[in-house]
Amino acid sequence: MLRIGSLRFGFLAGSLCLALLATACGGNTAGPPAPSGGSTSLEGKTLALVGYGSANPWGAYFNKVFGEQLASTGIKINDMTTMDPGTQIQKFNQAVAQKPDLIVLAILDTQAMAVPIQKAKAAGVPVLVFDGPTDPSVANEVMSVLSDNEKLGEFAAQNIIEGLQAQGRTSGKIIVLTGTKSMLVTQDRMKGFAKVLATAPQYQVVEERDANWDPKLSGEIAQQLLAKYGRDGVQAAYGMADYMALPIIQAAKQAGIPVGGKDGLIVTGSNCFKAGIDSIKAGELYGTATEDPGTIAKQTADYVVRYLTGKNPPQSEIVQEERVTAATVDRFAEQCSHA
Amino acid sequence: MRMPRATQRPPLGPGSDTAEPEQLADPSGGWRPTVSGVALVVALLALIAVAVTTQRFLTLDNARAILASTAFVGITAIGATLVMIVGSAVSMAVSQTATVVAMMFLATQQLGLWTAVLIAVAAGVAITAAQGAIIGFWNSNPIVLTIAAGFAIGGIATWFSGGTPVYPQTQAFDLLNATPLGLSLAVYVLLGTAVLAQWVLSRTTAGRQMYLIGENRAAARAAGLPVGRVTTLAWAFFGACIALTGIFLASFNTSATVTLGGTLTLDAIAAVLVGGTAITGGRGSALRTLGGALLISTISDVLLLRGFPTGAQILTKGLLVLAVVVIVHVRTTRSWR
Repeated sequence: MLRIGSLRFGFLAGSLCLALLATACGGNTAGPPAPSGGSTSLEGKTLALVGYGSANPWGAYFNKVFGEQLASTGIKINDMTTMDPGTQIQKFNQAVAQKPDLIVLAILDTQAMAVPIQKAKAAGVPVLVFDGPTDPSVANEVMSVLSDNEKLGEFAAQNIIEGLQAQGRTSGKIIVLTGTKSMLVTQDRMKGFAKVLATAPQYQVVEERDANWDPKLSGEIAQQLLAKYGRDGVQAAYGMADYMALPIIQAAKQAGIPVGGKDGLIVTGSNCFKAGIDSIKAGELYGTATEDPGTIAKQTADYVVRYLTGKNPPQSEIVQEERVTAATVDRFAEQCSHA
Repeated sequence: MRMPRATQRPPLGPGSDTAEPEQLADPSGGWRPTVSGVALVVALLALIAVAVTTQRFLTLDNARAILASTAFVGITAIGATLVMIVGSAVSMAVSQTATVVAMMFLATQQLGLWTAVLIAVAAGVAITAAQGAIIGFWNSNPIVLTIAAGFAIGGIATWFSGGTPVYPQTQAFDLLNATPLGLSLAVYVLLGTAVLAQWVLSRTTAGRQMYLIGENRAAARAAGLPVGRVTTLAWAFFGACIALTGIFLASFNTSATVTLGGTLTLDAIAAVLVGGTAITGGRGSALRTLGGALLISTISDVLLLRGFPTGAQILTKGLLVLAVVVIVHVRTTRSWR
């Protein structure tokens, strides 16, 4: 008869074997495809990608496209992606110690990353930041390819104003569910949103809540806010990402509040996902904006090649963002359907 | 097989759910106030006072919103109650399991709604019961095991989805977003789950054995109780509850990403603890967990209605859990004396 001790040992040994097998067989499936040589020869150059982890849908598609774009150049990419701010700082410091030709960085904690960026500068390792900006204190220490977050906020406000005006409303109350408020990305979007909304003072924000980029939390807050203001108390809502705007729509429907149309709640997102595009086509989500990972990945990869081939690109580039509504959804449907 | 007589009635003593009324009653049958009892009553009265003086709190729409925001966490918390009562503490893999189940549910929509539900529930039960079996039969540490399981399940979810959202091919799931009599379907499932769990705990042999095992695992094993089997059963029920939450989360959000589960793990633990279930096992009830989940949602709602930021809601939740854990600990310690 087997003893319990043997069973435990067997279980432990089995687990270790499975882990080793997975490591051996797994290969580099999560990372970008290996370079295959090609037109722009950058053989021998190394790049540390300290970007968003593939657990994040935006990050997953960015990493895929970025890898594909650079596959033909011969650049060796070290995948050091993560979604944990603390881990990101450790990985960034590791990357600096490895002295690659370039670190490509998507910042998770703006303030905490300021000192590591200064260390990279001191060590002579160039850093290219993509998507969100750095802390202003180190903005001159890095190169950047940035999303135009202020523009994304402006588009969201335009969507709401346009939607409410089309319904013939001369006044309206708006609720806003933001991403993490401490992030500059969130602050920039709100800056653009407030700037455009100020041109239509008849429409006012009555609640601005931090939903932390969390769809579940967004749904809960939306349920409570819609109850707080009643069926006729809110006319529009802004969920900072499509996956935050869609729970608002669902919360409204469950509360018996009509969405879209001639007199329903006007809901907008501000960076597009496939579910958002489908919702616009269904007449529920009024609009969104691009900031799709594919476009920024291509521009970032292009910047990398220009920099490593000595073409001296400008220190900072802004990605062109586009507004998406029912009128333009077909033009952006493919671009927005990869995450 | 019938249970021995001693285990057919709800257990009494320090680990018993019925121990608390005894602490409030003196030997002559009169009410003897305790510090923790008075604190609890004062706190509840204060909450009621703050709530009823909060604008729009006493409206039907607000009551619906509180119930709806309780549902997702509440269903999982009901399952977690059985696991805590049986002495397995908590699972740290709840969010990941709910996420995987949500992905499977949406990915199998083309097979029909009820087939997808069955597949999702079976997956939740299998994943969670397997962990319960390892804990029950081999005495594994549940915290360590479920942290490892959480990483493994999260890794599988990322691998399976490539990090991208899982979208359904049909909209059959939308039926689960229905609101019969103005309440979301998830609320009815929450109530049904709570009643079922309470019935299992108080009216079945396995339920009573859960209290005994949670109270003293070694003694239960020595007494010949089927510790492994009952622990696995508690975890299987927990898995079904997580699966139901995953299904409703997926339906509500219309897609599933690897971060869909969010803070479900800690939210569910908080609801169980606020309900007064002892983390050491042997004490608690599903209905009290339902009360705990409702209390957290009500406090969050009051804070939101009064304009407090999201951070204040999270802070209050933490302080509430801490206060209840201290009170439960003090009462349990006193009853041992």
